[in-house]
Amino acid sequence: MYQYNQIDQTLVDERVEQFRDQTRRFLNGELAEDEFSALRLMNGLYIQRQAPMLRVAVPYGLLSSTQMRKLAHVARTYDRGYGHFTTRTNIQFNWPELAAVPDILAELAQVQMHAIQTSGNCIRNTTTDPYAGVAANELEDPRPYCEIIRQWSTLHPEFAYLPRKFKIAVTGATEDRAASQVHDIGLQMAQNADGEIGFEVLVGGGLGRTPIIGKSIRKFLPKKHLLSYLDAILRVYNLKGRRDNKYKARIKILVEALGPDEFRRLVEEEWAHIRDGELTLTDAEIARAKSFFTLPDYDANAASANAHASLSHSLATDIEFNAWYRHNTLAHRVDGYRIAIVSLKPYLEAPGDITDSQMDAVADLADRYSFGETRATHHQNLVLTDVREGDLYAVWQALAANNLARSNIGTLTDMIVCPGFDFCSLANARTLNISDQINEHFDDMDHLYDLGEIRLNMSGCINACAHHHVADIGILGVDKKGEDWYQISLGGSSKEDARLGKILGRSVPASDVALTVEKILAVYVDQRREDESFAQVVLRVGIKPFKERVYATAH
Amino acid sequence: MPLLINQRIVTEDPWQLLDQAALDEGSPLPENGPVAVPLIWYRQNREALQLRNSPLGVIVNGDDNLAALYADHSQLDLIAIEFPTFRDGRGFSIARQLVRSGFNRQIRALGHVTRDRLALMQSSGFNAFAINDESFQTDHLQAFSEISVNYQGTTADPRPVFRR
Repeated sequence: MYQYNQIDQTLVDERVEQFRDQTRRFLNGELAEDEFSALRLMNGLYIQRQAPMLRVAVPYGLLSSTQMRKLAHVARTYDRGYGHFTTRTNIQFNWPELAAVPDILAELAQVQMHAIQTSGNCIRNTTTDPYAGVAANELEDPRPYCEIIRQWSTLHPEFAYLPRKFKIAVTGATEDRAASQVHDIGLQMAQNADGEIGFEVLVGGGLGRTPIIGKSIRKFLPKKHLLSYLDAILRVYNLKGRRDNKYKARIKILVEALGPDEFRRLVEEEWAHIRDGELTLTDAEIARAKSFFTLPDYDANAASANAHASLSHSLATDIEFNAWYRHNTLAHRVDGYRIAIVSLKPYLEAPGDITDSQMDAVADLADRYSFGETRATHHQNLVLTDVREGDLYAVWQALAANNLARSNIGTLTDMIVCPGFDFCSLANARTLNISDQINEHFDDMDHLYDLGEIRLNMSGCINACAHHHVADIGILGVDKKGEDWYQISLGGSSKEDARLGKILGRSVPASDVALTVEKILAVYVDQRREDESFAQVVLRVGIKPFKERVYATAH
Repeated sequence: MPLLINQRIVTEDPWQLLDQAALDEGSPLPENGPVAVPLIWYRQNREALQLRNSPLGVIVNGDDNLAALYADHSQLDLIAIEFPTFRDGRGFSIARQLVRSGFNRQIRALGHVTRDRLALMQSSGFNAFAINDESFQTDHLQAFSEISVNYQGTTADPRPVFRR
């Protein structure tokens, strides 16, 4: 993974001291609330319902075990012993003290981490495919380009006061696991007719109040132009994006208002001034970025007969391990290796939450079995990407001992859930109680396995942090006269076939959410042909049969 | 209102900045000395302004159409860019585009110009800052050097880190 040089380290160290001084001036009354608010947000610090919340950047989801142990230490020392992984693959701490935040940042800087631009109206953490570098059907590993974008976007002087937040995702595989079509900019690695690899550029995707799928404005952008083209898009947005209404300030609104063709024309006009200029990536810089993401030193004997026999034996004798293997591990490019997903969706715990001791356990496993690295995923899980098949049983046992091995990846209970009203000051409704309710209602794993792949995402307000619009089953918490109600939509996707879910009908009370999901799933089971997935059935039959069942008058 | 030019506090400001309201009321132009007026007013009164035979400047903001200004600013010695609110960041891009268009005289930040944004403004092309804070002191000048490194390059040295 990327290792800081002197410049990177100087930047984060000096940023810590700068923020320490800003915090000191705020606490002394020398810095106005409004101005400090913008400054602290650009450094990941929110003031939430219970306490400040600090969001720490995990660039493109990649964590070394040293970094993971530092996060455990922060959770233990400055918080209440846990953190929460987000859909942008960052981690949030819910209970730090404002005055201690500079010290937390100083601790993070020791392990090449920071909270720069994890919130505020600036360019946020660039995200990517959690299986980058090990995924099948990958044109190229997108992470070197994520790192190039990370550097370019970090403390960019011109783009620190954008109309609104700005999110970029890069994906390199046929399957889009980075939700690139619902980002302000989605970069999809692409190949032109000459076999050259570059990017297709999408802009103006996003969720929130106005969910929109991104529009392609350039089918092929050569790699060397990556930064100058991004620079041109950001400058057009910074100058033309609306600033009169924060709900209409995202780039998607600008692209919709101008139309993608006019937006493209403006970008190309701006780009004409800067293409082939200083921002043009050099071959040396691309090679340097790539040098940090080389293949690990894979064990040539990983696929030995012994390893295989040992795995087969464990699979045959331990049904729990067998279920975990089937649901929480994936094929790897290298023979004898598997990708192992660490479920942060245990029974009746907040999705995405992880305790300090769990973080330490994952760090130990990464060191011992997966080249010292862990990935955080958009789905709020963790991944050990390079585990030898012969080690899987030991990994599973250790995960199980730490309540990290629930075999529910890809199933209904592998939900994306925002923290909701319990923590977030923007939320309208609670979410964690509903995720518990769904877990209690659907606690039969065989039933979940029979239902197959289902993505359920639940947001506690219209800001859609949990991406409910692009889930098979999306749940949105709404406030009706002081009571929590839940609006359900069906048929969304954030993958390569990205589409927005359709609202089923009037919202249901908190007590009925799991029951409603049960009715929806019953329709699926009735309608499915052979091994059709939930998503395929919704596409084929539409939402009408679901609507009829859910809102049928009781007899 | 302290004025910084090239990271120094300047006590003598030869420029008189005239706002639209005063000009609309028919206030006469000062007989001599450098003046800066809103871009729209400049366009409407260019001849009268040039007859004064003193240095001229314009005041612009994100709502102005700036294409013609970028194409020709040879008569101007100062361009002041307004930051009408703290959250309005258009001025950063305007400064960047002005420098790119070859303007190499004074680019002054007006409006919500505060200590914690000075370095960002300077990197984007500003060389003068009308600071909206009477409590500004000399030691606040360290704001320019709090972060001593950058990735992107600045208008002074546009090379990004990988070209240095």
